[in-house]
Amino acid sequence: MNPLILTIILMTVFLGTMIVMASSHWLMIWIGFEMNLLAIIPILMKKYNPRAMEASTKYFLTQATASMLLMMAIIINLMHSGQWTITKVFNPTASIIMTLALAMKLGLTPFHFWVPEVTQGISLTSGLILLTWQKLAPMSILYQISPSINLNILLTMAVLSILVGGWGGLNQTQLRKIMAYSSIAHMGWMAAILVYNPTLTMLNMLIYIMMTLTMFMLFIHSSSTTTLSLSHTWNKAPLITTLILITLLSMGGLPPLSGFMPKWMIIQELTKNSSIILPTLMAIMALLNLYFYMRLTYSTSLTMFPSTNNMKMKWQFETKQITLLPPLIIASSLLLPLTPMLSILD
Amino acid sequence: MMTYIVFILSVIFVIGFVGFSSKPSPIYGGLVLIVSGGVGCGIIMNFGGSFLGLMVFLIYLGGMLVVFGYTTAMATEQYPEVWVSNATVMGVFLLGLLMEVMLVLYVLKSEEVGVVFKFSSVGDWAIYDIGNSGVFSEEIMGVAALYRYGAWVVVVTGWSLLVGVLVILEVTRGD
Repeated sequence: MNPLILTIILMTVFLGTMIVMASSHWLMIWIGFEMNLLAIIPILMKKYNPRAMEASTKYFLTQATASMLLMMAIIINLMHSGQWTITKVFNPTASIIMTLALAMKLGLTPFHFWVPEVTQGISLTSGLILLTWQKLAPMSILYQISPSINLNILLTMAVLSILVGGWGGLNQTQLRKIMAYSSIAHMGWMAAILVYNPTLTMLNMLIYIMMTLTMFMLFIHSSSTTTLSLSHTWNKAPLITTLILITLLSMGGLPPLSGFMPKWMIIQELTKNSSIILPTLMAIMALLNLYFYMRLTYSTSLTMFPSTNNMKMKWQFETKQITLLPPLIIASSLLLPLTPMLSILD
Repeated sequence: MMTYIVFILSVIFVIGFVGFSSKPSPIYGGLVLIVSGGVGCGIIMNFGGSFLGLMVFLIYLGGMLVVFGYTTAMATEQYPEVWVSNATVMGVFLLGLLMEVMLVLYVLKSEEVGVVFKFSSVGDWAIYDIGNSGVFSEEIMGVAALYRYGAWVVVVTGWSLLVGVLVILEVTRGD
């Protein structure tokens, strides 16, 4: 793409999310969402194959429907409260419709069907932007309306998302689909704690973004989009193999790594609110996630995966520059000792 | 009939929308959109917004729809689909018409319709007058306020339109 056009479009994606996060008028928030959607379509369609076009069309249709539902909820809110500020949604109907619209934008069950198909159809860098940056705007709106969200709907969607995210990822060998199902499951964890303690949602979002960023950077470096091609990284860059191991275990939520911090805090917060069965179920369903991360690490770093002899030596292309990899690795694996710092957030 | 004029116009509006949502060829969709646009303009004018109605006719029908019509005429096929050309389009159109007729009968019979909102009575669709001070038209003051107090909105929407054009050009460029 022409560099000037690419700059303008990336700037508009950034501006759209910033407008959503910084506005206090519902109409401006809706404009921000639309600007974001409009500007990310050419980024999703960077390669001109029919797969990418189909993925962009699916993304556009689902997000536009969600924006329309959001607009309807905004107007119902206006009708019943007479004002446009974002502090509290006064009408339960408007609140439910708004929650459903934002869940469609995030990819929570039962609106999760677009996430694997769109992520699979686009390039790795576009998938990175889709799964990290695009989650910021809807989550910030959910954070702001969190006092008035209907608890039953949100918790149902959250638990079903964790289940679908774990279960759906089990049979996948394509890395982008695996990351998509992982995103669905993590969004479920974030939505579950939103009503009880929204700060933990933001913490989970932060750590999830760092881990997903790391994983995508590692995939882009080894140019691998399937499990099979990822399993050849021991040949070209053994250090990348180790980093994949550590980051995947962190995504699965295993203790000494920083991915454990959000899950621990969320389970603690849920039990403080006297719900025991729910966090137990959530923790058990996170095991499904851990299973397919473990399978990736097994084929990549723990064993030399079987392959034909002429595939054992990878062609040595010019090494790609990975942006910011060392800080990302440290942030996605070593942050657990900083947990007591969360006490300043009260 | 004049008390029900807004109701009648809104029924024609919805039927027009059903007409193009049943997806005949875009040429026919544009045709129905002209009718719907004109009728919608009539609804706005009945609520006293004469300036806004003029805007709809000038900018929407006379600018945007004309450009749409020309581009569709360039890209149209030899036998464009009409509403009666295949069973799908006709079925959807008839279904939409049926739902609209049932809703109209329901509104006329019972005094209120409470689906998502509460429409209190058919009288609610009657004409209200705008609170005109009588000295100057309030719509022009609204436009002036848009450019003064709402300058940020104008900037954002102008930028969105520019980026929209760039995005469309980028997407249809192909390789």
